[in-house]
Amino acid sequence: MSVWERQYRDAAAGLTSPAALDDKILQQAQQLKPPLSENRWLSKAASSCAAVTVLVLLMHPAQYLGALTPGLQPAHGAQNNPLRNWQHKPSQPTPGNDPWFHLRSQVNAGSYIELCNQWRKQQQGSTSEKLPRDLESKARTHCRLLP
Amino acid sequence: MSWKDFQHLDDESLLEYYHATRNPNAFRQLYTRHKDSLYRYCAQMNLACAGAVLEALWNRLLESPPQLHGRRLRSWIFIRANQLLRQYAGQDPDTPDAAPVSDNKLLAAIQQLPTIERNVLLLHMECGLPLATVADIEKTSLKKCREFYNRGKERLEEILHGPQRQPWRIEEVSEVTV
Repeated sequence: MSVWERQYRDAAAGLTSPAALDDKILQQAQQLKPPLSENRWLSKAASSCAAVTVLVLLMHPAQYLGALTPGLQPAHGAQNNPLRNWQHKPSQPTPGNDPWFHLRSQVNAGSYIELCNQWRKQQQGSTSEKLPRDLESKARTHCRLLP
Repeated sequence: MSWKDFQHLDDESLLEYYHATRNPNAFRQLYTRHKDSLYRYCAQMNLACAGAVLEALWNRLLESPPQLHGRRLRSWIFIRANQLLRQYAGQDPDTPDAAPVSDNKLLAAIQQLPTIERNVLLLHMECGLPLATVADIEKTSLKKCREFYNRGKERLEEILHGPQRQPWRIEEVSEVTV
C-alpha cells in the first residue's frame, strides 16, 4: 500500500454510512418474513402419505399370511401343521390318582424290595392287586436276581 | 444462531443462510460488513443519489437474494451498485456527479478526476475489487483499465503535489549582437 493510499484510507475513514439509512434498511429487513415455500405443503403431503402407508402396511391382510392360523392353512400345507405330530403328554403321576405311586417312586429310586415282595405275592396268588404293566416288566427283570 | 455465530461465516455462507431463513441477524452482519465501503464508493461517485442507490441495492438483496453460482458477494454488490449509479445518473442528468464529499484535500482531489478514472480508482482501492473485475465493469480490457488506474494515480499526485519536477535544462542563450 503506497503512502497516498494509506492517506486515502485515513481520510475516507470519516465517511460512514448515515445512521438514518442504516436504520431504514435494517427495519426493512426486520419486516421481511421467511418465504412460504412449497416445501411446507410438500412436507405435509409427504408425511400424510407416509402415515397412510404405515397404516396400510399394518392393516393389510397380506401381513398375516405367515401367521399360524390352523383353520386357514391350505390342505397341501398339512405337513407344516404343528398340530400334526401333537401328542398328549401323560400327566406326571401324583399320589392322589395313582395307587402305585409309592411303589413306583421306590423303584425309580432304585429300591426293588417292595416291588419284588408284591411281585412274589402276585405270583403266589395271595393278593388280588395286580401290578401295572410297567412295574411288572421291571419286576421280571430285577426280581429273579433277588433272593 | 446468535450474533457471534455469524461472525465466522463468510459473505457467501451468510447470504445462503439468509436466503434460506430470512434471519435478520444474518442480514445485519452482512450489512455491517459492507455498508461503509459501499457508502464511500457511492458518495464519491455521486453524492446526490448515493442514498437512493444504496436503498435500492439493499432492497433488491433483501427481496430476492442473488444466486452467486460460486462468485463472490462483494463483487456482486459493487457491480450492482455501479449499474444503479449509472441508471440514476442517466435518469437525472442535471445532478452533478462530482459533489464535495469532504473537506479533506485528498478526497477533494479524487472528485476532480474524470469519472472513469475515479470509478476505476475507487473500485480497486476502496472496494478492493481486482483490476480484472473492474475492467469487466467498465467494459474495457485489463490493459486499458490498468492505464486508467495509473493515470488516475498520477493525476492525483499532480493535483495534490503539483506537476512533476522536470530536470534542469540549460537553455542556450543566443548571443545578441548589438
